[in-house]
Amino acid sequence: MLYIALSFCMLPSVQAVEVIMNASDSKELIKENMDLRSIFSMRTRYWANNEKIRVFVLPDNHILHKNFVKQKLHMFPHQLRRTWDRMTYTGTGQPPITVDSVAEMLEKIKHTKYSIGYIDRRIEDEKIYFFDTQ
Amino acid sequence: MKKFIFLILNSLAYTMYALSFSLNAQQITEDTQADIALQQETFNWSTLKKTWEDDIQFHGFFSQGLFHSTGNNVYGKSKDSVSADLTEIGLNMSYQALNNLSFAAQGLYRRAGASTGDAGEVTLDFAFADITFLSFSQGRLGVRGGRIKNPWGFYNETRDVASTHPTIFLPLIYFERSRALLIAIDGGQLYADYSSPIGDFLFTFNYGYSHDNKELLLAITSDPDVSGKLDSDPGFMTQLHYEIMGGQYAFAISYADLNSSYTSSKSFDPYTGLESNIDSLMLSAQYNGEKFSLVGEYNIQWNSFSFPQAGADFSPVSEYWYIQASYRFLDNLQMTIRYDSSSQDKSDRSGKNFHAATGLPAHLMYTQDAVIGLRWDITPSWMLRAEYQRVHGASTVSLLDNPDLSKLVKDWNIYALQVSFRF
Repeated sequence: MLYIALSFCMLPSVQAVEVIMNASDSKELIKENMDLRSIFSMRTRYWANNEKIRVFVLPDNHILHKNFVKQKLHMFPHQLRRTWDRMTYTGTGQPPITVDSVAEMLEKIKHTKYSIGYIDRRIEDEKIYFFDTQ
Repeated sequence: MKKFIFLILNSLAYTMYALSFSLNAQQITEDTQADIALQQETFNWSTLKKTWEDDIQFHGFFSQGLFHSTGNNVYGKSKDSVSADLTEIGLNMSYQALNNLSFAAQGLYRRAGASTGDAGEVTLDFAFADITFLSFSQGRLGVRGGRIKNPWGFYNETRDVASTHPTIFLPLIYFERSRALLIAIDGGQLYADYSSPIGDFLFTFNYGYSHDNKELLLAITSDPDVSGKLDSDPGFMTQLHYEIMGGQYAFAISYADLNSSYTSSKSFDPYTGLESNIDSLMLSAQYNGEKFSLVGEYNIQWNSFSFPQAGADFSPVSEYWYIQASYRFLDNLQMTIRYDSSSQDKSDRSGKNFHAATGLPAHLMYTQDAVIGLRWDITPSWMLRAEYQRVHGASTVSLLDNPDLSKLVKDWNIYALQVSFRF
């Protein structure tokens, strides 16, 4: 509930977007030339240790998703959707897993090894690693 | 329909789930140990669900159209009436077994006017194994074997998934009559992805057999009584797709070489020995901005049809192109306009020679149309859209929905509505 209340307080001004990872082994996972656009477009599919990247996103019409795509990927949600749909409906790839809320996103990232996603603020949690702290 | 879902879920899901369970047993143990304190109560369900979600995915789509037209029929009996004869339902499953090995399959139920009949058709849309033999951080190289969708222009691969194209009717370049020829290939695909500082490249080369094609046979012979089948010989379709700035600009060049030969079902068949050879080149370009999108595609097709019984050969060169602009008033409300042009024979654009030779209407040789459509994405899954088309010509109508060729009307209208769901 707290997360939901918080995210409402922050609307509709320009929202902070923080890219987060599951904290286990996080330092070994990132390669130098990895970029977020490639990870979220599902083109870079494995971490440096060859584990599959578990990508989580919010629905296309979620304000945080729109902000994330614009601010961090320098793209628009419909461009990402085009890429994902092409792989989904030709069987040539798997799209990210969609969660319904920021609270669910946080839970998924905490409990899924090798995962990546985004939330709307910085928090103190030993299970969460912030992508830009590298 | 029930039988179809039952079949997909039972045969594919069960084997893949069983496989996944054994392959991921080790991972489950590790995860469980790490999270044991937190997940003690829900351990079984949450860990199993995690494995399921991560490596096996199910997706699908559904759409239903409603059509009214003047002059000619589209998708059933729409002329001066209302037809609901376009239904598309797909269900797919993909399974990432290993980092370099995956499987995917999709079942399709489709009801599209007379070409599928009232009951519709269930087909295996794609089903293949995918092996990546070279994978590096900027790209990968691999092969797929089985039934594979053909990359052809921007929209062919996902032509039955309503939400992936901006209007209800695809541009004429995606010729409904050649659908079976273009949709998928039974054989193999070589693919290569490469992400470079100047953009992302995707190359595919498909080799194999196309599907049997009743509509194409009717179009070639202009004879509703033709009784045999047009069977595919091995052919290929290849595409180089290039995009920059995350897809803001996209370009593609596609080439196909597809051959079919006629199998007669009776003796003294006038079409015995009929051969069809099609070489086709498509150029595609797209700008895809935040509000505004612009798409253009051009296709030139060299056909060769030989009728040994009649001692006749025809080699018309067909040409198709369109330009399409879309504007998003809101993130979920988009208007699209398009101008389409298609000509069955560049040397007989008005159809005059065709009419003189066959007595059939000249407008069987060309179509131009103007389309305006409005699309509303109610939620990320549900979409509703409406469309109007003013059509001049009849080269692209289904000859199964319009069996009396002499009655085809030259200037006509289409009004359409469609609702779709995807997951």
